Amino acid sequence: MGNQDQSASQADAAISMALDTLWARHRSQIIERVVVLEAAASAVTANNLSASDREAAQAAAHKLAGTLGMFNLMRGTVVARELEQIYSRESAPPAAAGQRLASTAAELRTMIENRKSSS
Amino acid sequence: MGRKILIIDDEDDIREVASLSLETVAGWEVIKASSGAQGVSRAAEQRPDAILLDVMMPGMDGPATFRELRKNPATAAIPVLLLTAKVQGTDQRRFADLGVEAVLFKPFDPLTLPTQISRALGWK
Repeated sequence: MGNQDQSASQADAAISMALDTLWARHRSQIIERVVVLEAAASAVTANNLSASDREAAQAAAHKLAGTLGMFNLMRGTVVARELEQIYSRESAPPAAAGQRLASTAAELRTMIENRKSSS
Repeated sequence: MGRKILIIDDEDDIREVASLSLETVAGWEVIKASSGAQGVSRAAEQRPDAILLDVMMPGMDGPATFRELRKNPATAAIPVLLLTAKVQGTDQRRFADLGVEAVLFKPFDPLTLPTQISRALGWK
């Protein structure tokens, strides 16, 4: 292995370890964003999603979309983007969409809870 | 070549991962700000080589922060790269029209973020 390859590989390992540390530090904040999405899905099912709930869900999904991929959860980014689009519409999703929104939020929670160390 | 980068983002996790990337992969110096107002002030004090600026922030958002930076002669010439999780074409065009040097997307890969910045700014 050449010197350049070796230093690239060392940077890679250092980043992986540091990302795991940052993940541990921010995991609860990331889960809180999922909690907002779970609450929004319940409100959709109950047909009582307020405008502020919808905005909070949109913001939570937006933040998850921007964050999860950095921690090697690209599928999480894709799913969060779908939710962001749904909650960015002017009107609340119909009650019939509640179950699908809840299962999408549950999928996000599972991904986050099961994230494996990258190192 | 050593560079000094100012990261302006209200989200702790994004600031920390970007900072980790720029310091560990590229060996650059990083300054951080958690709001647009703090970023404007840090930019004037520290005169970074470039600014990585989040779009969606409470209070002064990215575009408003960019306009403040351009108004001040001390910071007007510092290259600004917008960082956004918005992927829709209309948003991208709106951001590009502001006059920033480049628009980078979240999530970014921590291993390649310095290369993306260097490429966007024509740094060797």
